[in-house]
Amino acid sequence: MLRFVVRRLLQLIPILLGVSILLFAFVRALPGGPAIALLGERATEESVERIETELGLDQPIYVQYGRYVRNLVQGDLGTSTRSRQPVLEELKQKFPATVELAFAAMLFAIILGIPLGFLAAKRYLGFLDNASLFVSLIGISFPVFFLALLLKYVFAIKLGWLPTVGRVDVTRSIEHPTNFYLLDAVLTRDWEGVVDVLKHLVLPAIALGTIPLAIVARITRAAVLDVLNEDYVRTARAKGLDPSVVDRRHVMRNAMLPVVTVIGLQTGLLLTGAVLTETVFAWPGMGSWMLEAIRFRDYAVIQGGILFFALLVSLTNLAVDVSYAYLNPKIRLSR
Amino acid sequence: MSLAQAEAHELELEQPAGLWKDAVQRLKRNPGAIIGALLISMFVFLALFADVITSYGPGEQVGSLGGNGSPPSSEFWFGLDKQGRDYFSRVVYGARLSLLVGVVSVSVGLSIGLVLGSIAGYFGRWVDGLLMRIIDIMLAIPSFLLAIGLVTLLGRGLVQVMIAVGATQVPLFARLLRGGILAQKESDYVLAARSLGAPGPRLLLRHIIPNSLSPVIVQATLSMATAIIEVAALSFVGLGPSQPGLPEWGLMLADSASRLEQGLHLVLFPGIAIVLSTLGFNMVGDGLREALDPKLKS
Amino acid sequence: MSEPLLSVTDLEVRFKSRRGTIHAVNGISFDLRAGETLGIVGESGCGKSVTSLAMLGILPRQAYPADGSVMFGGRDLLRLKDQEMREVRGKDIAMIFQDPMTSLNPILTIGRQLTESLRRHLKMDKETAREEAVSLLDRVGISDAGDRLRSYPHQFSGGMRQRVMIAMAISCRPKILIADEPTTALDVTIQAQILELLKRLVSEEQMALILITHDLGVVAGVCDRTNVMYAGGFVETGATESLFATPRHPYTAGLLDSVPRLDASGKQRLVPIPGTVKTLMEKPTSCAFAPRCMYAVDESRREVPPLREIAPGHHVACFNPVPESDLPQGAITEAR
Repeated sequence: MLRFVVRRLLQLIPILLGVSILLFAFVRALPGGPAIALLGERATEESVERIETELGLDQPIYVQYGRYVRNLVQGDLGTSTRSRQPVLEELKQKFPATVELAFAAMLFAIILGIPLGFLAAKRYLGFLDNASLFVSLIGISFPVFFLALLLKYVFAIKLGWLPTVGRVDVTRSIEHPTNFYLLDAVLTRDWEGVVDVLKHLVLPAIALGTIPLAIVARITRAAVLDVLNEDYVRTARAKGLDPSVVDRRHVMRNAMLPVVTVIGLQTGLLLTGAVLTETVFAWPGMGSWMLEAIRFRDYAVIQGGILFFALLVSLTNLAVDVSYAYLNPKIRLSR
Repeated sequence: MSLAQAEAHELELEQPAGLWKDAVQRLKRNPGAIIGALLISMFVFLALFADVITSYGPGEQVGSLGGNGSPPSSEFWFGLDKQGRDYFSRVVYGARLSLLVGVVSVSVGLSIGLVLGSIAGYFGRWVDGLLMRIIDIMLAIPSFLLAIGLVTLLGRGLVQVMIAVGATQVPLFARLLRGGILAQKESDYVLAARSLGAPGPRLLLRHIIPNSLSPVIVQATLSMATAIIEVAALSFVGLGPSQPGLPEWGLMLADSASRLEQGLHLVLFPGIAIVLSTLGFNMVGDGLREALDPKLKS
Repeated sequence: MSEPLLSVTDLEVRFKSRRGTIHAVNGISFDLRAGETLGIVGESGCGKSVTSLAMLGILPRQAYPADGSVMFGGRDLLRLKDQEMREVRGKDIAMIFQDPMTSLNPILTIGRQLTESLRRHLKMDKETAREEAVSLLDRVGISDAGDRLRSYPHQFSGGMRQRVMIAMAISCRPKILIADEPTTALDVTIQAQILELLKRLVSEEQMALILITHDLGVVAGVCDRTNVMYAGGFVETGATESLFATPRHPYTAGLLDSVPRLDASGKQRLVPIPGTVKTLMEKPTSCAFAPRCMYAVDESRREVPPLREIAPGHHVACFNPVPESDLPQGAITEAR
């Protein structure tokens, strides 16, 4: 099992290297190239020249790439041209915000989606089944930003139950040891802060989690239907086991295999959704940070952001593979 | 005897039909697919006859400028937007744009993906290894960010946006076709044809690719939905086609998002248009999947 | 004679399907005595598996027992509450399925699956159940039983898995063991071993066995009595020996003629039965075999032939049974 994890970790390296090549090429393909990327559009000609020598742009391309990768490995993602801050410092603020939102959304999707899919499968072709199929079909077709706007309109603006923007009330100051606000508030025993953070989290998380919810429910339904027809479920029933035991031990555990895979595949989609949800709720995460960066042609931030998104996707895929292997002895024991 | 066997027996008694004829028959019996097809037809109709259906042009100013537009009325079914333009016309013309964008970007993704997938699947070995690693790298970047990056690089013309969205779909199609070809390559009929001396390229074009196509067709339908949403999303964050006044659903949403309080209708109509059009493609895609999957037949 | 252990009367099972109701089992009756071995033989699709699933109350969702009774221990199994029926399943009546490759849960250890019924029915604690599982594996001929408990099904061969299935089935010392095509999915050499094992266990445990198969050779070696099933009904029942020696139903005779025999002379050809089994969309009103039968008479096409006793303990459902003079072997070929 450990060897399996290590091997998958090693497989990440070429992918991340590939992404870095892509990003390296991306910035060089942009009009103006890296000097402009670093200095911004209004740079004077001589400062461009100075920086080009400084960056070693007169050197062969592989030397440049080598330097770029060395900086990356050392955690130097460059400096934001807009805020003049190291990109890594900003990332430490933004990254937890997005992860917190994405995590809450996925939790919402899984906690509701799996039972819903299971019930639908058990009532195959019944009312609940058809209803959930239809609802999940609509869920899949719903653009996340439209849903976010509707939720914001109903629950924040019309009913006034929940705040419209941000991660926490602007008047509240909570300490941020981790920048995961919910965790921060809990760690510092700021219970009012916990409530406030949760209130801010609910709408964006539901908006972002609804599409994954629809997908998780659909896949769970299909997987449970498949497993219910398996011979080993018949064997379990023939043993006289209680239906709840059959469902838990024999049906659900097997049905989880494809569900885990799909949950993993959702990560990319979820992060896309996060970018859009953050826009609607003015959530100060990676998404709004990067869109801002694009608007101001802040290429260091774009590079660093995309690299981190890629890292996030790759790590989730790794986690999925590992949990799949853990659930499936055939894979666990074969390596 | 299982029910499946019982039904298999019945099926044997029926007239055999081709895969496609069979699939069409199955589609006709699937209410979801029919609703989906109706939705698509409706949007195609709106797109084709936009000028006939609407009384105003999409950019034509018919009401007063500024303010928050006016709510739906008998004259202006969907109301007026902030620039005093007839919102119904804009939503209808939006169908033209969204369908165009969907078709073009899916075609882009499909054709590049098919070529790459066939090459990888057919040649195998290092070609396959290299191409698949490239695909893995593309897949590591969330598709929307990939599209954003490409738009930043290529510029924000309509064509560039469509290419960017299409490019994000390449990995999916390439993988699908490669997987299909690899499976077909090992199948008995291909081995048989090969042992009879059928030349490789002909085998690929005449047998292997056509037999690997059905999941690709399903995916193309579903990708139409993805493409429509993705372009709207690009517009929503201000990175869509930059032509001013373009009746693009995502752009219309973005324009009215900040003033949600005053005019929900300005958000509702383009939003519903996106939902219904993608719903149509998703339903047809699902129906096609069921109709074309030989495993689901018995 | 003693009371039968199990008594099936007029059992009917139907399937709901999109094309209407399928009549899978149409009124079959039989008794099973303690320690007896009964074979049920027929082509795939004749309703033999459905019969066994109905007796255990584990029919697929679309199927339901429409009529009849299955008396066991003074109770009608078809009318038991779900919870009462679960007490019977796996404890009094256990079942072995056809495909050992798919009948074991791939993600649970063999040990877990073996101890499941022990803990459920015999209320054993974990440790006792484990020890019992070891001895069970031992009995079905799996060596290193202690280590094997931690293995997963995919680490076992098909024959080994079927041994595990058998161990699971006999774990609670059931009174009746139903084996549904237990050897069909196995290699020929393994088949014989598994049958031997079944035979030995059945006699050691004094279990009654219902062996369901399409393979006459399997029945011949194992079963005291044999019921031949066609299109949801029994067409011929009797002691295995007399049924094989003097098959009177044309279908039975046809089945015997289509079995390859090692002792047959080179000239003798296998005779397939023409046609295929039709799915019954309604209750039969004539002999279901008539369309494929050369012995069919007018009556066969008008009425359902009832089972009649034609020799002591030997019943045939046919208006025009194969004359004894036409028998044995190759009789039908000559009649043609």
